Amino acid sequence: MTTAGATGTTLPLHTHPYSVKRHGRNITNCDSEPVQTPGCVQAHGALLVLRLSDLRILQVSDNVQAVLGYAVDTLLGQTAEMVIGQEGADQLRTLLGRQSTVQNPLYFLTLPAASTGFCSAQHGVLDVTAQTMDGVVILEFELAGEAGAVSPDYFALVKNTVARLQTTDSLLQLCDLAAKEIRDLTGMDRVMVYKFHEDGHGEVFAESKRTDLAPWLGLHYPAEDVPKPARDVFSKTWLRPIPDMAGALAELVPLLNPDTGKPLDMTHCFLRGVSMMCTEYYQNMGVSATLTMSIRRGDHLWGLVSCIYYAGSKHLSYQVRAACEFLAQVVSLQHNAAEEKEHLAYRLKLEDLHQQLLATASRGGGLATLVECTPSLLDGIDAGGAALYEDGRWYCVGKTPTVAQLRGLGEWLINVKLPSSPHPLYSASSLARDYLPAAAFAKEASGLLALPLSHKGGDLMLWFKPETMQTVNWAGAPDDKPTVMGPNGPRLTPRASFALFVESVRERSLPWKQVELEAVARFRLQLAETTVECAGRRPSLSAELARSNEELDAFAYVASYDLKEPLRGIHRYAFQLMEDAALSNDKNRHKLDRMLRLTLRMDSLLDSLLHFSRVGKADLLLETVDLNEILNEALEMVGRPGRAQLEVVVPRALPPVRGNRGWCREILVNLLSNASAYSDATPKRVEVGAILPGEVHSRPGCPQGSEQHTIYHVTDNGIGIEEKHFAQIFKLFKRLHTGDKYGSGPGTGLTVVRKLVERHRGKVWLDSSPGKGTSFYFTLPCGGNR
Amino acid sequence: MTSTRTYPVLVVEDSDEDFATLQVAFKAVGLKNEIRRVTSGDKCLALLRSSTNESFHRPALVLMDLNTPGTDGRGALESIKADPALCDLPVVVLSTSANVKDLEFCYRMGANAHHVKPVRYRDHLQLLEGVFAYWLGSVFLPNGANSLL
Repeated sequence: MTTAGATGTTLPLHTHPYSVKRHGRNITNCDSEPVQTPGCVQAHGALLVLRLSDLRILQVSDNVQAVLGYAVDTLLGQTAEMVIGQEGADQLRTLLGRQSTVQNPLYFLTLPAASTGFCSAQHGVLDVTAQTMDGVVILEFELAGEAGAVSPDYFALVKNTVARLQTTDSLLQLCDLAAKEIRDLTGMDRVMVYKFHEDGHGEVFAESKRTDLAPWLGLHYPAEDVPKPARDVFSKTWLRPIPDMAGALAELVPLLNPDTGKPLDMTHCFLRGVSMMCTEYYQNMGVSATLTMSIRRGDHLWGLVSCIYYAGSKHLSYQVRAACEFLAQVVSLQHNAAEEKEHLAYRLKLEDLHQQLLATASRGGGLATLVECTPSLLDGIDAGGAALYEDGRWYCVGKTPTVAQLRGLGEWLINVKLPSSPHPLYSASSLARDYLPAAAFAKEASGLLALPLSHKGGDLMLWFKPETMQTVNWAGAPDDKPTVMGPNGPRLTPRASFALFVESVRERSLPWKQVELEAVARFRLQLAETTVECAGRRPSLSAELARSNEELDAFAYVASYDLKEPLRGIHRYAFQLMEDAALSNDKNRHKLDRMLRLTLRMDSLLDSLLHFSRVGKADLLLETVDLNEILNEALEMVGRPGRAQLEVVVPRALPPVRGNRGWCREILVNLLSNASAYSDATPKRVEVGAILPGEVHSRPGCPQGSEQHTIYHVTDNGIGIEEKHFAQIFKLFKRLHTGDKYGSGPGTGLTVVRKLVERHRGKVWLDSSPGKGTSFYFTLPCGGNR
Repeated sequence: MTSTRTYPVLVVEDSDEDFATLQVAFKAVGLKNEIRRVTSGDKCLALLRSSTNESFHRPALVLMDLNTPGTDGRGALESIKADPALCDLPVVVLSTSANVKDLEFCYRMGANAHHVKPVRYRDHLQLLEGVFAYWLGSVFLPNGANSLL
């Protein structure tokens, strides 16, 4: 309002000098109110405007009779001596000569009761402050505070407080402490640290209050609650006292400076007349006095310390106010340091987390592990949900839009938003403004932080912040009494204010912090490096893999030749010793017998190893295979050992499959012989069936994606397998049972099954309950059954 | 019967145990042929190429282990079958494993049979007895090598 009111495009006021007392009620738009030139003072004090050059009185507040004991007319045109005496005038001249008083009101004099207009002398002691601006001196006369109160040592108090403020580690701690100390100092009922968010809306960030009052901590207010002109004033001045909300206003006489014809800029006056909007707002909340201080970061108004009093007027002495002002300045200075400490802590926490994530990502398992593992992308950062898009798939954690909604959002980001953005990062606290469909999921994701994973694009990393409304504590209404209608009418009630707030934060989230933006951008680069490293390693990895495969072949070959020859020798000697022992009835016979068995077991292991090294090596030759036929062949092969008969149930004909005939048979042979071997049941029963894609059927343990293929299963009524062994049983030579119990297979059957299934690009898994039976499931998708 | 001694059986085998088993099987079949053992492919070839002199008669049958030191059984087999003077010699391969590659190689080179030596002693004996009975008893060999059995 510094110039807007003066140049006056919207107000008719500039044609008539403005006085809040006369025109204030007509103001409907706070943003156009000339709060810096209200033309009035709060009537608990008086104000004189002197010409700087000769200290003659140019303007007076019309309450000088009541406060100073002089009629308006007797003062105008006189020199300052008339009010403050020769001595006072000398002190004023000294002050003006020595100190910078430009827009900086300084105390220089206390007028004793006798010389003031207050007849009840006890209350009549006045503090006088002076400031200069635009060729005038402004003198303000205020009551020196509650008489009789023993003035404490403010310097010592403030010094202690400052020392404590300096030890705080976070912004919140600093503000909490400041609120408490200022309440102790002022005796106010409630002291709040009020923080302005980026979008202008306010939040009660810290609070110290009388215990019987309801807390306002955490409440949010619309930007309109502290209108722009008021914020402009607060960014210039440190302190705003309104000791009596119901107090009268005293108008300046004359309203305009007779030398310049301009209204008086009262920005820095303690007595500056209060806007009607402001008094109404406070009175509707039952507030009777306030003291407000600004908290600034450089020139930027970060927030306010708002002190509130409910029990009538509250006059604070110049000294107390000065102490408060000083504390507000200390908080402002300390603010940066505290916030930096806090940000540093946050940054370190995020970086630590990101290092863990990078370690996870580089271990393999793909980027999906970033959301599926703990910690995930969502940990550490102040967000409600996170999502990752890679290879056409979405991976989510926390509260996110649905996958269908994510698809649309992803397309927009990849095709529209990110390509047009100069940085590979997009952040929004009101996504629906940029991207209309986001209104549908504003609740979970009004705020979005998005960045591509790689330079080529086509993949994304996203974080979501919920709508602010979702995070606001609605339990505590801002008023102690639920007032619907204020004493000054329905406008500007806290409830209305809240309704306004709700509107203002609809489809908006709290803003992303700079620390967060920097951290995720850094994380992206590190992740890209990791991914590039992995990609770079890939060719050599596959070469290594090929080499190790060859080595396995060579090993299996060597094992089957070179180990067998000595084994045959050992067996032979053992056999001969055994024959001798049999003749002499040697008691070591059974040891030799055991030795012979072991050589034969080793023989069979070596055969299996060789078989495994060869199995599935050939090219996958696809043909249409009738599984029913294959099953019969397999049964013949399994049926041979003289075991108890295996009952085979095929509930319905198995569908034909495109696959390798021999391999399919071997899969079935292995599964059937396992079903037959690992069973104590009579009769041993096994069911072989197929679950078609789309068919309503349970698919226990089915890996993601496998449900879209025909799933074959071999289900037995055998001994079952404990879940903890599910993964192990596919390992080479892994056996769960000792000795010859359940036969003495080499432990390669399931390894071979898995290899053959995987050669068909399928998956094999199982479901089992010990004592009841086991189902092995597998898919053979390579031939396609779509 | 004397002439049977002039048609020995050449055994290329580096394993003493396997050779001992072979001897047991040979006896079990009741054959009286001289068994001449060498432990490497090189020695096998050297002996065969000197077989015109008095010290060693051209054998009726060669039993060839594949994995021998130096020039192994494969190399010896290849040389025998490539040598016009030797290629009609029946070579029976006694291998340790039924590796497909070896199997194919041996037959392509002209091996007359390929057997896998079992680890189980009884099976091993049985196999060898069968081999001897067949090659020295059932079939007719070139040059009447086994006509006197």
